[in-house]
Amino acid sequence: MSDKQVISLSINGVTGEVFAPSDSTLLDVLRDDLGLHAAKRGCNQGVCGACTVMIDGVPMRSCLTMAGACEDHEVKTLEGYIQDPLMNSLQEAMIASGGVQCGFCTSGVLITARNLIEEKPDAAAEEMRTALSGNLCRCTGYVRIVEAIAKAAKEVVV
Amino acid sequence: MSFVVVPTNIEDAVRFLADNPEARPLSGGASLVAMKNAGLIEASHFVSLARIEGLNGISVDEGGLRIGGMTRHRDIAASAHLTGDLAMIAQAAGQIANRVVRNMGTIGGAVGNADPAADYLPVLTCADADVEIYGADGPRRISIEHYLIDWYETALEPGEIVTAIHLPHPKEARSNYHKLARTPGDYATASVACAMDGKRVRVAVGACGPKPIRSAEAEAALEGQIADPAAIRIFADSLAALADPMDDVRGSSDYRLRLIPRMVTAAINEIRGAH
Amino acid sequence: MSNDMNIPDGIAVGLSTPKLENREKVTGRAEYIDDLSRPGMLYAAILGSPYPHARILSYDVSAALAAPGVVGVVTGKDVPDGRMGAFIKDEHALAKDKVRYVGEPVAAIAAETLAEARAAVNLIEVEYEELPAVLSPEEGLAKDAPILHEELESYIKVFDAGSTGNLCSRTELSEGDVDKAWADCAIVVEDEFVTEPQAHVSIEPCGALAEIDAQGRVTLWSANQSVFRVQANVCESLALPMSRLRSLTPRVGAGFGNKMEPHIQPLTVALAIKTGRPVKCILTREEDFEIVRARHPFKIRMKTGADANGKLIARECEVLLDCGAFADDSPGVLGYALLMSGGPYRIPNQRATGKLVYTNKLRFGAYRGFGNPQVTFAGEQQIDEIARRLGIQPIEMRRRNLLKQGDGWFVGPKIASNGLERCLDAVAAASGKPKASQDRIKRGRGLAITAHISGLLGTGAIVRMLEDGTISLNTGATDIGQGSDTVLAQICAETLKVPVDMVSVASPDTDGSPYNWGTTASRVTYTTGRAVAGAAREVVNQLFQHAAEMLEVPIEDLELREGGRVALRGSNEDLPFAAISGRAHWAKGGPIVGSHTLVFDEPTHDPKRAIALGLPFPQIGVFSFGATLVDVEVDQVTGQTRVAEAWSAIDVGRAINPRLVDVQTEGGFVQGMGFALYEAMVWDGARLANPSLLDYKIPTSADSPHIHSIIIEDPEPTGPFGAKGAGEISLNAIPAAIANAVNTVCPGLSHALPLTGERVLERIEESDNAA
Repeated sequence: MSDKQVISLSINGVTGEVFAPSDSTLLDVLRDDLGLHAAKRGCNQGVCGACTVMIDGVPMRSCLTMAGACEDHEVKTLEGYIQDPLMNSLQEAMIASGGVQCGFCTSGVLITARNLIEEKPDAAAEEMRTALSGNLCRCTGYVRIVEAIAKAAKEVVV
Repeated sequence: MSFVVVPTNIEDAVRFLADNPEARPLSGGASLVAMKNAGLIEASHFVSLARIEGLNGISVDEGGLRIGGMTRHRDIAASAHLTGDLAMIAQAAGQIANRVVRNMGTIGGAVGNADPAADYLPVLTCADADVEIYGADGPRRISIEHYLIDWYETALEPGEIVTAIHLPHPKEARSNYHKLARTPGDYATASVACAMDGKRVRVAVGACGPKPIRSAEAEAALEGQIADPAAIRIFADSLAALADPMDDVRGSSDYRLRLIPRMVTAAINEIRGAH
Repeated sequence: MSNDMNIPDGIAVGLSTPKLENREKVTGRAEYIDDLSRPGMLYAAILGSPYPHARILSYDVSAALAAPGVVGVVTGKDVPDGRMGAFIKDEHALAKDKVRYVGEPVAAIAAETLAEARAAVNLIEVEYEELPAVLSPEEGLAKDAPILHEELESYIKVFDAGSTGNLCSRTELSEGDVDKAWADCAIVVEDEFVTEPQAHVSIEPCGALAEIDAQGRVTLWSANQSVFRVQANVCESLALPMSRLRSLTPRVGAGFGNKMEPHIQPLTVALAIKTGRPVKCILTREEDFEIVRARHPFKIRMKTGADANGKLIARECEVLLDCGAFADDSPGVLGYALLMSGGPYRIPNQRATGKLVYTNKLRFGAYRGFGNPQVTFAGEQQIDEIARRLGIQPIEMRRRNLLKQGDGWFVGPKIASNGLERCLDAVAAASGKPKASQDRIKRGRGLAITAHISGLLGTGAIVRMLEDGTISLNTGATDIGQGSDTVLAQICAETLKVPVDMVSVASPDTDGSPYNWGTTASRVTYTTGRAVAGAAREVVNQLFQHAAEMLEVPIEDLELREGGRVALRGSNEDLPFAAISGRAHWAKGGPIVGSHTLVFDEPTHDPKRAIALGLPFPQIGVFSFGATLVDVEVDQVTGQTRVAEAWSAIDVGRAINPRLVDVQTEGGFVQGMGFALYEAMVWDGARLANPSLLDYKIPTSADSPHIHSIIIEDPEPTGPFGAKGAGEISLNAIPAAIANAVNTVCPGLSHALPLTGERVLERIEESDNAA
């Protein structure tokens, strides 16, 4: 239990070291060591998607990523997107649409959705639904989340 | 306590695994870290394969295709190399879990874990794939049929790593992967990989036993008769007769036994109609 | 979308105001229970029972206490003999003397780190004497069945439960003369139905954080649907005076009934008291499945009769419920399911009886719909079946039998507002022609209707005017994400004729908030909304009193002017709230505070028309209504069913916030769809076989359809601005509608939920073989 190790990480553009238990996942380090709470622990099995973060520009599950394997990789969490115009329009669209209910899945949804818009801004609703299928939401029924993504994507295309 | 080590060549990786029997190779993490989180495995170390040259990507040479073990499901799903009778492999990769997990999971990890319901197993069986394995004694190659032994049991020896999948060159043919799952992204309740080239059909059924079901005999008997519903029925029933499914939360053994002939027949009819 | 454009929007009510806390949620700054920490905080881990039923003989915690980082251990020996429970007080803070299901918390450890707590928990040694287990209600009722609660008859009960042996409670309701009525029926259908347990799967697992101060008073944060039920349960089980416990809430990552009654708050408090330090306990997803609660599996026998014109004459419903190891909300679910078993129809002769039986499984309890989805699944299929046999269209069959305004519900409650027929018309009009089937994929369309109450029990509101004329609203109602803070702020703002951003909403706190029974029973908009409107009106009265003195005019000549002013009617003369509030704070009268409390007190049972035995809710609520139409696709190869498109109309009286109503409709649909198609907790013997999201699947965006939400507004006379509840009405009819759609493709009725590919394929094969 006392087996800790120094892990050097780059998170939201800041590079630093944490001294964390050696079997920590990236999610453990983000939440427990760094106080970055946007990524949530919903299942710790990679299913619910609430812990989704960007690693080297690709959305991944922080709960399935060993922190020790993240050295030399760029991690970005929702907290790192404060000034990001695309994320900001997605956030505004989510606020307006009703796509936010309890909010526990929201961070993960935003990370996945932003990446989708970036990769495929003209995605049809069905493609959005497929792309989002790894982010479980128990509240909304997904209709307003899809609506918000479509709205934000449209702003990008225009 | 699961220290992560990151060797830069395969020899170092397998030597480390040989020296540390409680260490586990870590590829994408999609299954292994989930198991660690659930307390199902304990590892002294995770030996990350991320920085080992030559494990990532799909290459083509005279002998055929080589898919590096660290190639992500996402890249396999999008590969331009997987055409014709290999297209089903891309289709299967594209149906694993979900988009985010496909960014992480690797074919080597999935084949190494060898969950009987995993999407790769029937398509690789149907494609006559070979598994490239690297251990302390160096590399070896084994057919997928011989690689898969029993429920979660493979020919992998302790300390060995799946480093690649080898495939013959794609044939001008059609192939399809049909997956039945409770929800998109779930493990298969049952799955059928089907390839058809000319008059010959190859079929492998997944998630209905310890390993995919395929019968060379039945395929030979069906050759040239793929327009005959009675022959298809005999073929499909013969695969069901070889199945040894379990009851689990995805469906009963009985359901799977009833599904096999229906799904196999539908797969053959679809691929036939598509010609 | 709102169907009623004729009701004018107010300054706040009727607007789709985005939820007040959305911005903190989209930036990741909302704090849920696992995001909280306190200085010196310890982490808890729980030891679960390995047996479904066993006597605890002894504990040895010495090795665990000696393990690195461990600060304290709590077992059943450390907690008083207090018992908690909403209807029957049968549950300790953690297992004491006996364990009653696999996974039941037996001991808990607090350590400096979570890893240390988890490592040490397995060092606790517990000696058990295994007892035979009861794994089904039938087993529980058998002669010589092992008894779960030997002292059942001495437990405190809040109603006439009729408890005996393993029978936790029984309820019997009847009106008319059912036995005689069958002879008058031209057609009678009788079927048996079963449903399986559904897990709530709020994406946030349950958790709690407790801290004890120097005076020995406990502060408790937890994921909850009622800070007051948390307080009551913890204090009952730990024998604490309620004044010694303060219950608070962070943001809650949804609750669909699972966070209403206690989960691990009592044992977390026990650890905090034992160690003297703050303790946080967050369940893993697996624990959340295994030890919180779930939707009841039902066994239903239903019989319905009609005359040759399709007019319903009689219905009989008999249910058998698996209670699990503790009563929790189960007696309520039983009673409510029976009350709703006739559906929203005029049926002169009805009888509904049921039994609730203890078994060695986790407790079943409240889950969105509260027993209504199960009986609706049965009843609505029989309505369709009678219609089919009589050659009547399903929609026409329903039209001929609908309950109307002023009718009495089964057993007695009066129905005031009733937009049911409009719901029915709306889904029929919106859905258009169904698409054609293909060879492999057959399409079917199904309809179902439902009603649900909103109401129940006590609630209150305090509206305070701050010095600058802005407003602080405090209700004690936990917003679990559905938007009640926003809706209540809108009701407050509308009453005061100010924009909603002039109102702030206080977080529930048992120290400072008025009592609120909870965010449950589709009740917050209706009951708490009434309290808010009442409290805000009280503020208006006080404002007018001041203004009359300040302007030297009669109160009757005053009116509210939008934006926070009291004006002399017909003149330009007015006073801003700030001026009035300033006077009240500093010069005359004292600060302006309005408060209002109420308890829903209309009787459920009218003894003149019906007989009721063991009715757990003497006073229940007002009625919302809904109709849902779905198009399904059934794969003829695999039996797998998917919903292609859906239309749901719900009558919510008045949509205070139409968009939030839409999201209830859509979210309720998808949750009901999961229940209908594949969600089921499966036991392998006594052990839950699928306590993970890998093995228990909930709907994803990819298999959820587009849902057309339609809002019907038939104002409820007693509701705030006419509003009534939306939370559960959205789910009740979904499994029934889907089953009715599947039944058009596969002959016969759907006798079991979920409608898995396996079950549907059996029917496809049967009908193929018959052909």
